[in-house]
Amino acid sequence: MKKTLLVYILLISAFALYVLRYEYSSEANGSWEAKGLRGDIGETYIMITFQSGLEYWKSVLKGFEDAGDALGVTVEYRGATRYDPKEQTTIIEQAIARKPAGIAISAIDPQSLIPVINKALDAGIPVVLFDADAPDSRAYSFLGTDNYQAGVTAADKMAELLGRGGEVAVLTMPGQQNHEERTEGFRDTIRDRYPSMKVVEVADGHGDAMKSRDEALRMMKAYPELGGIFVTEATGAAGVGEAVQNADAGHPLQIISFDTNKATLDMIKSGTISATIAQGTWNMGYWSLQYLFHLHHQLTVPAPSSSDENAPLPVRVDTGISVVTRSNVDDYYAK
Amino acid sequence: MKSGLQSLRLRNMPLRYQLMLLFLLFAIVPSVGLGLLVNWTVERIVERQVEGHTMQLIGKVNEALDSKMENLQNMTYLIAFDPDIRAFMEGKTEFDGHTGAAVSSGDSNQSTDQDQLYGIKQFLQGFTTLYPEIAGIVLVNGNGDYISNEMYPKTNLSLVQEEWYQGASRNAGIFTVLGQPRQRNITTHVRYKDSEIVSVARSITDETSGRVLGVIMIDLKLRTVSQAARDVTLGKSGYVMVTDAEGRSVYMPDNPLVEQIPSAWFPSGDSGIFNAEADGKELLFMYQSSSFTGWRTVGVFPARESIAEVRQIQFYVVSFVFMVCLFGLSASLRFSSSIAQPIFRLMSYMRRAETGNLRSGRWSDRADEIGMLGRSFNRMLAQIRQLMSLNELRERQKRDAEMRSLQEHIKPHFLYNTLDTIHWMAQRKGVDDVSEMVGALSRLFRIGLSKGNDFIPLQSEVEHISSYLQIQQTRYRNRLQCELVIPEELKELFVLKLVLQPIVENAIYHGIKGRRGPGTIRIEAKVQDHKLYLTVQDDGAGMSSERLHEMAQLLGTPLESMETQEAGQGGKSYGMLNVQARLRLSFGEEYGISLNSREGEGTCVTITQPLMKELPQALQFDTEGRRDSQ
Repeated sequence: MKKTLLVYILLISAFALYVLRYEYSSEANGSWEAKGLRGDIGETYIMITFQSGLEYWKSVLKGFEDAGDALGVTVEYRGATRYDPKEQTTIIEQAIARKPAGIAISAIDPQSLIPVINKALDAGIPVVLFDADAPDSRAYSFLGTDNYQAGVTAADKMAELLGRGGEVAVLTMPGQQNHEERTEGFRDTIRDRYPSMKVVEVADGHGDAMKSRDEALRMMKAYPELGGIFVTEATGAAGVGEAVQNADAGHPLQIISFDTNKATLDMIKSGTISATIAQGTWNMGYWSLQYLFHLHHQLTVPAPSSSDENAPLPVRVDTGISVVTRSNVDDYYAK
Repeated sequence: MKSGLQSLRLRNMPLRYQLMLLFLLFAIVPSVGLGLLVNWTVERIVERQVEGHTMQLIGKVNEALDSKMENLQNMTYLIAFDPDIRAFMEGKTEFDGHTGAAVSSGDSNQSTDQDQLYGIKQFLQGFTTLYPEIAGIVLVNGNGDYISNEMYPKTNLSLVQEEWYQGASRNAGIFTVLGQPRQRNITTHVRYKDSEIVSVARSITDETSGRVLGVIMIDLKLRTVSQAARDVTLGKSGYVMVTDAEGRSVYMPDNPLVEQIPSAWFPSGDSGIFNAEADGKELLFMYQSSSFTGWRTVGVFPARESIAEVRQIQFYVVSFVFMVCLFGLSASLRFSSSIAQPIFRLMSYMRRAETGNLRSGRWSDRADEIGMLGRSFNRMLAQIRQLMSLNELRERQKRDAEMRSLQEHIKPHFLYNTLDTIHWMAQRKGVDDVSEMVGALSRLFRIGLSKGNDFIPLQSEVEHISSYLQIQQTRYRNRLQCELVIPEELKELFVLKLVLQPIVENAIYHGIKGRRGPGTIRIEAKVQDHKLYLTVQDDGAGMSSERLHEMAQLLGTPLESMETQEAGQGGKSYGMLNVQARLRLSFGEEYGISLNSREGEGTCVTITQPLMKELPQALQFDTEGRRDSQ
């Protein structure tokens, strides 16, 4: 009887060992995939911008893609080819139809995109906004430059360059939220902080080098005492710089630009442009995807706030700016 | 020989183990065999299917890569068609920048509209707008001038001297996949690392002279390649990697099993499967190469690792076999003990019986052969017990009879000696008839004693009965006539002693005494059918048929009758029963006394006994009291 019991115990324990080994090895098999915070390759996150060919987005996209690689998910980039709210709405509609895991949007227009953003949220797709906000939508978060603050910084820099005195102009893209804010920040600061300075004109550069060049030439003619121009975007700055180069050397003009494309950096290096405001573009893309990932996997917990809204994410995230001048321009060139 | 030895060994085992082994053999061996067969078959089939499936997936990845590359190729054509770009390539237009020592002669074209450059850049931007997987496009002409939206040289060294430029111009007009850039004097504003991009290039030639005018280079984000490859989940814990024609990795996942696959490992052919060892690991490779890019899409798996599905099936099979083992073991234990235990019990009961303990065993009321066997055994034991008690009774009775006859011997011995003294005294005093009678009586006792022998020659028995008759004749004078018909040749035969005297006594007291006038007793011996017949016939009173019937019944069971006679009236026909009992005990049932009588005409008593030519020294009786056939 004892012997039989022994045989039974031996048999059962052998089987138990086998089951354990099987469980262990199947766990080990699956483990290399489930290491750390990883998503599924089938999860698709879409980044949507306007003017998708713009070099400016490439850095944002890189951040978005890097986050995608870090989390093991699929990312896609879509964008309206032109500067057209209707086209972007269509692109967002198409993205919603594909039921992605999340959408990051740079809103071309704060108002016209609200219905389509809310539609995505109604469909259960998390949405965050980056670079350009649409404040009245129900999107979870906005990641981007505090544009008003960027305008303030630009004004301070301009005052420093001009010795706190003189006439300045702004070349911007009216109607676009971020550019409006930059302009506002710049204008408010000049008015409040530097009484001996004056913003003589806010002109429309259309985000185009040619048009900006023409505008700059026109303003230089109109305001002979013009000491500086703040250009709220990079493409136009190159045009302005060209205008200054082509103009007679006796008319020095301080140019403060925005963003750091090659042309701008070159012009800083050559002294044509005095300074530019560099944005944390990579961070916008990277953290947009991180936020979307956390929303999709419900890894964030809504925190109680003073108002009754419980936001699972910080509603606004400042991705930071820095001022690029001739002294530190080399750091901004790609190595 | 060997199997014989083994079977012998098996035969020497206790039945319990034999049965157990047999059951286990029939339950477990087939199930293990079935398990192995299923396992082997499933593994083979699934493996083959997975291999086919994987090959298809690898093919799909390859196709996707090819189509992407073809797209890029089309793009280079489209770019080359643009007249402004052609003009730039020919060195006739404004450009973004200039590298190298060669001083451009294009200063004469200072007046050329800046718009042309702007137009080219817008045109190029169109491509990156439509294809976000493009990291950058750069156009370089023979002078080292370049145009690009995204890329610019790191240093002032001429781009024409770059390896990629040279490589593209060697394949004049042909689309070339350059692979991942290495130490390239060109960078993008977005700071893609070398490992993040794949470059393709195509040189533009002059149709008439065939001279290379410049090169269009496009950087593709590697993630486009990796996404296609990463999307593929392979059956085993494998992955897909992409290598260029030299075996350098274009894409591989985070924790690869092998860093580099030397080209020499690949057998010739566009696709195939092979095994190789890398870093001490046995690996299985499946590959398919693209004729367009020269790249190989390779699936890498750890060899000897079963597919998850197969592992699962294996798990079920092993579990099944285990269950069968467990069940088989329990069943075999149960069956073998249920068969072997009763047999073992029977064996122990038999051993007990062998030692003389005939108690019947306890058996459950099972109705199968084993139960029947047990009950038969019990019945057998009961029968043996009965027979033994019967035998014991017989032995006791025999002993009693012998004891009695021994006791009878004492009296005659004393009497014999006394009679001898009387005989001599009578002779001395001249009383002849007394002397004669006492002499006969003395002879009678002498023969009766015969030194304690049970068997005496017929001669002595005749002498004995003669002496007896002499005494009786002296008593009855003329009323008793005797006739002895004993053939001489029979006198040597041995007979059981004192068989005639009680019969003759009976004949005198019940036959002759009861008759008027003198009677005759005739004693005769004859041999017939190898049997000795002694007849004592009288012409006395005879017996009534009831009496005869009663006597026959008493003689049928002499021992029992004697017991009742002793307890009852005592002595009536005791002598005859005694003779019958002795004859039966000595020779068996077929011998003994038979009576024949008729009322008023006399009685004839026949004693039947076997023919004995010499003294039966070794006369033995078996348990049933029957004499040996000898």
